[in-house]
Formats: sequence, C-alpha cells, structure tokens
Amino acid sequence: MSGVQLKNIRKSFGALEVIKGIDLDIRPGEFVVFVGPSGCGKSTLLRMIAGLEDVTSGLLTIGGKDVTWADPSKRGIAMVFQSYALYPHMTVAENIGFGLSLAGRPKAEIESKVREAAESLQLTPLLDRKPKALSGGQRQRVAIGRAIVRNPAVFLFDEPLSNLDASLRAQMRLEITDLHKKLGTTMIYVTHDQVEAMTMADKIVVLKGGEVEQVGTPMDLYTKPATPFVAGFIGSPRMNLYTGAAAEGLGCKTYGIRPEDVTLSSQSGRWSGRIRHVERLGADALVYFKVEGFGDMVARTHSSADFQPEATVWATPTLGAEYFFDR
Amino acid sequence: MRRVRPIIVGCLSLAVAAVVFVIPFLFIALQAVKSRSEASRLNFQLPQDWLLWDNLVAVVEARNYQLLLAYFNSTIITLFSVTILVVLSAMVGYVMQRRRSRWNSIAQGAVLIGLMMPPAVVPTIGLLQSIGLFKTMTGMVLIQVAYNLSFSTLLYRSFIGTIPRDLDEAALIDGAKPWQIFFRVVMPLLKPVTVTNIVVQSIAIFNDFTNPLYYLPGRENVTVQLTLFNFQSMYSSQYNLLFMNILLVTIPPLIVFIFFNRQIVAGMTAGGVKG
Ligand SMILES: Nc1ncnc2c1ncn2[C@@H]1O[C@H](COP(=O)(O)OP(=O)(O)OP(=O)(O)O)[C@@H](O)[C@H]1O
Ligand SMILES: [Mg+2]
Repeated sequence: MSGVQLKNIRKSFGALEVIKGIDLDIRPGEFVVFVGPSGCGKSTLLRMIAGLEDVTSGLLTIGGKDVTWADPSKRGIAMVFQSYALYPHMTVAENIGFGLSLAGRPKAEIESKVREAAESLQLTPLLDRKPKALSGGQRQRVAIGRAIVRNPAVFLFDEPLSNLDASLRAQMRLEITDLHKKLGTTMIYVTHDQVEAMTMADKIVVLKGGEVEQVGTPMDLYTKPATPFVAGFIGSPRMNLYTGAAAEGLGCKTYGIRPEDVTLSSQSGRWSGRIRHVERLGADALVYFKVEGFGDMVARTHSSADFQPEATVWATPTLGAEYFFDR
Repeated sequence: MRRVRPIIVGCLSLAVAAVVFVIPFLFIALQAVKSRSEASRLNFQLPQDWLLWDNLVAVVEARNYQLLLAYFNSTIITLFSVTILVVLSAMVGYVMQRRRSRWNSIAQGAVLIGLMMPPAVVPTIGLLQSIGLFKTMTGMVLIQVAYNLSFSTLLYRSFIGTIPRDLDEAALIDGAKPWQIFFRVVMPLLKPVTVTNIVVQSIAIFNDFTNPLYYLPGRENVTVQLTLFNFQSMYSSQYNLLFMNILLVTIPPLIVFIFFNRQIVAGMTAGGVKG
C-alpha cells in the first residue's frame, strides 16, 4: 500500500501543453477516479504515473520514493488497459504469469500464483484458452489477473469497462470495488463515465483542459460543486445551468438547479413552460420543457405524475438546492 | 443462361492458365524422359522409350556429381540469407514502426532507394574483391540479404503497424526489456508474415541465376541454377539432359510453394491482431 504524490506535473507534446501543472495527493489505499471530458488529459496523466509517458516537468512519488524517471516495471504499479492488451499468442495462464516468468521466478511459484489469481477471478476453467476464445468480460478479468499477480502498490485502470455492455459494466464495477476492498491497494481509475466515478470512488478528481477542476468525495462534488463545469459533469441527468441575463437577474454569473430539485405542478410555480418531451424511465420520468426567457429545463418526477407533451407546466426549485456561481 | 456464363468464363480462364503455366511444364517433363535424338526435335511427340531413370542418373552424375554440390551450396546460401533477412528486417521494421525519431525519415528513404535502385554489378564486385568476399559463400549470402532487405523490411513494418502499441506497453509494465518485448511479444505475432517472407524469399534466392553468376564464379561454388548454364555449354545438343536438369531444379521450390500456398496469401493479406 503506497500513496502517490504529484507535484506540479506538466506534460507537453511539442508545443502543445496537455497537462498544465497538476498537484495531487493520493493517500495509501484510496480509490481515486480521474474524470473529465474527452481529450482533457486523463489518459496522459495516468500514463505518466505508469511511466509510459515522460514527465515534462514536476515531481512524482509513489510510496514516498521519487519515481519521476523510474522504469515502468520499477514503480510497483500494474495497469489495466482499455483494450485489455492481452498477448494474443499466449494462453490465459501465460498471460497472467508473463511478468513473473520475465522476472525469472521458479515454475512452481508462477503456477501457484497464477492459480491463486485465476481462482479469485473465476478464471480457472479458462486457463488454457487463448484470449481470442474469451468474451469481453473474461478478457477484462484476465487483464485484472495479470495486474494482481504483480502484487503492485498501485493499480492503474484506463477506462477498463468502456468496451463492455451496460449490464456487464455494472457487474465489473462491483467486482473491481470488491477487489479494492479485499486488497486494500491504492487504485487510480480513469473514466469519462460519471456513474462509474460516483459509484466507485473514494475521491474524484475532475480534470478539464489539463488542469484539476475540483477534488473531493463523490457526495462533496455532488452537493458542493466548485464550478459550473463540475456541477454539469457530476450527476445524471446533468444539472440545468443558465448564464447571461437570466442568471444576472438572480444575482450571479451562472445559475444551476438539478433536475431532481425541480418540483413540477400543473397549476402554479416559479416558472412556467411548455412540455416538449417526456421520458419514462420506469420509476422516474424526465420532463423536458422550455421556460420563456430562461431556456430548456429538465425535471425528474415520479413516473405516476401525468404530464403530457405540449401541456403547460409550472416548475419550482427546492429551497436551498439552488446554485449561484460567480463564473 | 445466367448460370452458364460464369462457367464458360471460368473454363476459359482455366484454359488460358493451362496454356501459359502447365503446357511449358509438360513440355519440359516430356523432353526430359526422351532420348537425345528425340529430344533434339523439341516437339510434343511421346517418346519411344521412357528414359526417366537413365536421364536422371546421367544428370546427377554429370561433372562428378556437380548437381549434388549445387544443391548443397544453394541450400546453404538460402538458409543463411533467409535467416538473417527475417531476423534483421523484422527488427528494423519494428524499430522504424515504433520509434519516432529524426532518423526515421532517413531510414525510410534508404529503404525505398534500396527497393527502387537497380544494383550496379561491377562496383559491387570491386567492393567484394576489396574486402575479400568475392567468390565466397559469405559474400553471396550478404549480397542476397542486402538485395532483399528493403522489401522484407517494408513487409514487416506495415504488419507491425497493425499490432497495438498497448501490447508493447503492457509488456514494458510486466518488466520486459526491449529485446524481450521484441522476441517474446512482437515476433510471435509476426508468424503469418514471417511464413510468407520465408517462402517467397527462399524460392527467389534458391532460384537465383544472375547474382550467383556475377558474384560467385568458380566450380566449387556452383548453385543449382548455374548447373543449367554449365550443362548447356557442355551438352549443347543434349536437350533431354538439360530439361531433366531443369525439372530437378524446379521441383524443390515448387513443392515448397504448393505446400505453403495458402499461408503465403494469408500472410500477404493478414493484419489486425485481435487481442
Ligand atoms: N502522443 C501524443 N502526441 C500529441 N498529442 C497527444 C498525444 N497523446 C495525447 N495527445 C493529446 O493530449 C490531449 C489529452 O489526451 P488524452 O489521451 O490524455 O485524453 P483523455 O482525457 O484520455 O481523453 P479520452 O477520454 O478521449 O480518452 C489530447 O488533446 C490529445 O490530442
Ligand atoms: Mg483516454
């Protein structure tokens, strides 16, 4: 178990600065998720921690040791790639044991460690198969197994679930969370899916344009977003955000209200609008409507409420759930 | 009517292919089993006596079993040049594909020049003489490697482009040294293109006539294709033996080709390693 510290880490590709000075303190055993829109530098940051990308400037320590320029294999990390990156010509067992065999460990030790990892991931019946003959979820497990046998101080994941279908993704999310509980190892997880971030993280790092936008626990970011960007990024459906004249009328630069904090009524309320569209999700329904002089708004209601498109609806924000941002 | 046309077209193309490829071969085979006087007429008549065995023995025994020596020499040259070629060009292709540096475009240019520029024979002989490799098997092997390196490198380079870089990085994190990444992760994945390369290059080098003629003169250095040349001057009118010799020289590469036919095509069109 080791912490990870980043001190003013920067990265440029030629003239293009991609990571613009990031300071971060990851405590031992923490599950940290990097989120942010596509191209914000999540993968680049993770690859710098892994040692696959050189740091342009700054200091990186893992477990208190300066590893800014250390070889990837000497950092005590293991990485799970988005593409799984399994060696196609090796069996599952060989894939998992490759690192150990490179290190010249005795055959018996490799075998017992591979068995152990395979058992904990329910891969035992598949040990003699090639990756080609595995499903996406099984490949994912093999990739995790390959990481586990390295016995790393820090696990790195780069969007490991993005190639899986929705139900499998939910299942693997649980498995990775369980793995974290069991091993207690520091884990750094990159995703652009805010649901993954909310459900798995001890601490979320929101990145934007190569800079840290906000760091905090999932509920911190949900209840106390520091910027409109974070407010819009965390939570689904995203927060209703308004700028310009509408916000200035309320005394701020950006005004925000979450869909779940808008109460709808067919008789009265603060704003009125015409319903454009209703999405019934089962227990809930999302009502999309347009408020004159304000803009589009989404509200979450119970799906038993009877709102029809084209009807007029009144909306009222929950007191104390409104956000007034100064930017 | 619709059904008939593809059949007609197919038969026609088969007939054309037969005329172009099979008839010459039959012609050679036919002359090879005739007697000397019959063969000198160079026609398609069947021989009176089938002298397959006699001709065979005569060809093999000619010039004190020169053909066997030629087989030995050609095999050695082919074996060594193809081995060096495969290892060297796979490595060069790997580095050119994976490492981005200023030298890349220079190397790229050199490879293309190697592919396009015809080799100059006289200066090459001069060079070989000055470094003491003229008329040696080593020199011949190096010549074959040099002449075929460009094509081979390009073949590997484009194939390596289809191997995801993630694999290299995963191996790097697993603790592999660069040469281990190459030999234990990348090289095994190059198998289809390597089979293609080995077969195509082996046939070309084994069958090479001009390069051994220029760079490897000398009786003890004879290669299979050169035995034909010797034969013709020796038995200028003995077409039956000449054709028997052709037959003997053509058969090994032909067998290799027939055997690996499918892999060759697969390797040429393969790509995209799934993982
Ligand atoms: N090798 C490279 N050379 C030049 N620019 C690069 C290189 N790798 C990444 N970039 C740039 O760096 C920026 C950040 O890339 P990165 O892959 O870290 O984004 P990301 O946050 O992981 O996005 P995604 O969610 O799409 O994976 C992008 O603008 C990208 O174009
Ligand atoms: Mg990425």
